[in-house]
Amino acid sequence: MILAGIANATPTPVGVPGANIFTSSLILSLSIWVPAAVAIAMNAIPNPRGRYDTLMKQIAFFTNLGILFVLFIAYNQFQTFLPTIQYEEKLPWLPSIGATYHLGVDGTGMTMLMLSGIVGVTSVLASWGVRERVRSYFSLLLLTQSAVNGAIAAHDMFVLMLFWGAAVVPVALLVLGWGGPRREAAAWRLVGYWGIGTAALLVAIMTAYAASGGSSFDMDVLLKATLSPRVQLAVGVPLVIAAATRLPLFPLHGWVRDVYSEAPLGVSVVIAGSASRLGAYLLLRTFVGADPDAARLLSPLIAALAVLTIGYAAVVALRSRDLRWAAAHLAMVPGAITVFGLAALTPLSIAGSAFSIFTGGLAAALIIAGVWTLTDRAQTRSLQLLSGLAPRMPILTWVLIVGALALLGVPLLASFPAEAMILFGSFKTQPIGAFAVAAGLVLTAVALAALVHRVLFGQPNHDAPAVSDASLGETWYLGVLAGVLLWVGLFPGGPKLPGTDQTIFDPGLVNVLSAGITDIASPYVPPAPPAATQ
Amino acid sequence: MTNFVLVPDALVVASALVLLLAGRARRRTRWWMPVAAAAVTLVALGIELWAGSAVATYFGGAVLQDRFALFAKSAVLLAATLAIAVTDWSDEDAPAIGVSMVLLAAFGAMVVASAGDFVGLWAGLELAALAAVVLVSMRRTDLGLRLLVVGGVASALVLIGLAFVYASTGSADLQAVRRAITQSGPTLPLAIPVLLLLGGLAVRAGLPPLQFARLPISLGASPLGAGLVIGLVGVAALTLGVKIAAALSSVPALFSPYLMVVAAVAMVGGGAAALATRSPRARLAYLAAGQVGWVVAGLATHYRSGLAGSLFLLGAFALAATTGPAVMGGADVGEFALAGMGTVRPARAAGIALVFLSLAGAPPLAGFFGEFAVAAALAQGRAFWLLALGTLGAVMSVAAALGTVRALYLQSPPDESRRAAGARLPVLTRLSTIGAVALCVVIAGYGVFGNPILSLADQGAEALGLR
Repeated sequence: MILAGIANATPTPVGVPGANIFTSSLILSLSIWVPAAVAIAMNAIPNPRGRYDTLMKQIAFFTNLGILFVLFIAYNQFQTFLPTIQYEEKLPWLPSIGATYHLGVDGTGMTMLMLSGIVGVTSVLASWGVRERVRSYFSLLLLTQSAVNGAIAAHDMFVLMLFWGAAVVPVALLVLGWGGPRREAAAWRLVGYWGIGTAALLVAIMTAYAASGGSSFDMDVLLKATLSPRVQLAVGVPLVIAAATRLPLFPLHGWVRDVYSEAPLGVSVVIAGSASRLGAYLLLRTFVGADPDAARLLSPLIAALAVLTIGYAAVVALRSRDLRWAAAHLAMVPGAITVFGLAALTPLSIAGSAFSIFTGGLAAALIIAGVWTLTDRAQTRSLQLLSGLAPRMPILTWVLIVGALALLGVPLLASFPAEAMILFGSFKTQPIGAFAVAAGLVLTAVALAALVHRVLFGQPNHDAPAVSDASLGETWYLGVLAGVLLWVGLFPGGPKLPGTDQTIFDPGLVNVLSAGITDIASPYVPPAPPAATQ
Repeated sequence: MTNFVLVPDALVVASALVLLLAGRARRRTRWWMPVAAAAVTLVALGIELWAGSAVATYFGGAVLQDRFALFAKSAVLLAATLAIAVTDWSDEDAPAIGVSMVLLAAFGAMVVASAGDFVGLWAGLELAALAAVVLVSMRRTDLGLRLLVVGGVASALVLIGLAFVYASTGSADLQAVRRAITQSGPTLPLAIPVLLLLGGLAVRAGLPPLQFARLPISLGASPLGAGLVIGLVGVAALTLGVKIAAALSSVPALFSPYLMVVAAVAMVGGGAAALATRSPRARLAYLAAGQVGWVVAGLATHYRSGLAGSLFLLGAFALAATTGPAVMGGADVGEFALAGMGTVRPARAAGIALVFLSLAGAPPLAGFFGEFAVAAALAQGRAFWLLALGTLGAVMSVAAALGTVRALYLQSPPDESRRAAGARLPVLTRLSTIGAVALCVVIAGYGVFGNPILSLADQGAEALGLR
């Protein structure tokens, strides 16, 4: 019932206790500019010899917590019965080229912002161990958060381009400055791939701009313009490239291994959790929702890329001798599933994909964070040394199992309804692809089972370095990610007062998500069968 | 108000002469000279913005004050002010001459901006270029001579081109040339001089692959000298290019294909070369060349929107390219010279980082907004191949700029005793700190508050007769 409800939103207001406690017409701007302003202000605070490092960490943490609080209020007060964008802000920026400072979110955007907020808090907690150049690190982390939030909230292609491109600089600097031994290669690969994606996005935007009359970059104009299938294709192909570099999808995944294994943990969490999800979000908002002809034409290709990505990731994880490399490739799986749902082009699969952006981000972040922490605690990444760690790492064992199950979409976890919707929704339009995705998930399960069996439940290796379990601080960020996956899995429609339909404090992710999906999926609704004549 | 229009020009040139004479009379460095020069240019900027909105002609049409002149002169004055403010004057060979040459170069660029005929265009460009020659010669006579020779070739090409256009159209007045060309249409006798003219301007602006002289000169010159060569002289050449492109806009076949090729080579070549080099100043020069490619790409569209985009970007370019070498100071021997500057000179380091990122076109800085405006014009003109090459160049440029930002913030500063001569830290003064902070604010705020600037650029393009 709940799952079907996402694809068919009902125009019924649902009252949420606590609504309208706090309202601000600048709620989206706050989520974008407060982290940026704090990042700049942090750099103005003198910090001789790292004297105020702890203060810097606390500032970053409370800024992210504050942003999450504001976003939760926005999420809580989101009008789930309205298909239009909400929290809209519109100001002229560069009127002579048609650029406006236009922000606004639909249901998917709101859940993406929540994802970004949760991942932001988690990333600061995961970065608590940073000791070098603390001020610069947390400034860059906040700037990344700002750029990601801006790209999510953008309702003008110019603003989207601005924040999409702006995310590259702080992330690359974070990898370059605080990464592992191979950080240079990792950072340059990231800049190369994300740079190509940014260039492709610019080409797509400009093509759409020129084709729609060259008067405005506003999504209300650009995405609703009637374009010929040929122009849609010219816009769609670069959009797919942009999304494929960011998510990533095979064969544009060259940055994944190095970045996820070499970047500092907090940065990996941000990339896996929210920054890379922007790829799927871009496809959903600007391609599937705006270029239906091109989407239909390219859907087999996109579906094939998704299937190849899942298969490739599973095979590489199976063959890998480095646990972080294996996890890096496995973290590609949720994004590929999301893209497959978009390629299937049915209302149910598209809704599943929108859901999957949120759950996939959490699952990818959890698996990356869990494995990173485990390898840190075990003092090695080698799968030849890591074995039988479960008795000595009970907390990390649980975390890794939850992460593995979340990747596979097991019931009770948030990724289950998302993956179920995608697979159910896609069997009609992409039966071979759906079968291939299912087979790929089986292969992923084999890879995960092999890893979990070997690393956690195998024979203990007495030659391996000493290990220790996750500390309290590490348990916090891992627990937040796992906890949200469980919460949304248990209460996708929000916890209700017993015996009523009244949600308590969480309006339910699926309810929020449903707003706007109907609009995006409308070109793909199958025509109603003719009424039976008597 | 029209009486005040020429006051900024007069103020700048008079100050240059006074400072030159003062420096001649008292050879000892005087702390007040840069402060006075910065104050004069700032006052001139204020007067320009206040009185420059009046449309007027002087000297029988030889000098035009319109929105184009207002925009270009304001950009030049702001760039000169910030360059004087951020310069480490202890590293300049003769501060009095240095300050004067910056003012003279700015005056030259202002003359080009308000020139109504070929004579003014050529004279302004030569004045700016000669000021740079003097400043370069103060440190390296051989490089000064080289700049003079190469500049002479460029000047000859420009002059021959202008002379042939004059011969073909029968007038040196830009408006009359525009009318004559509109009537005659594109002809071979006109195409050849235009090619020569553009070639000369490309050498002057140091566009790849014609940077053979400009790069070594900008590497060997003092920081401010390099700023003049890379920045103000380039701005003067580009301003001349904008005026010529506007005059020829009715016959785009005469210049548009050349400009597209030049722009493509500059954008991709500049980005690739910036990525390949390790010297901060060479990298800055290549990044600047890449951004000049974007400016030229906007001119190639021969539409008002393209020209407005180019102008908007030209303002950003003038700020970053002129102040870039100056804000770096003596750190020109390698990336290690900038290592850890974020810790020891935070304001200056922020200025360097923003200059590099802006020249690379990284969002959300001045260069990004300008390049985006040009990209929009290219899309409107259906020049998607040029747009794709430009974005490729921008990606390489951003990667190159990140290398410098990394050195500034992510590397530890070297031990003072191990600092090489060329890696000397700039001396901290109140003026340089204020200048660096102002530079950061201007580069970061240029696009954020870009509406009035782009509107003015648009009016500037309209003033040149484009629709």
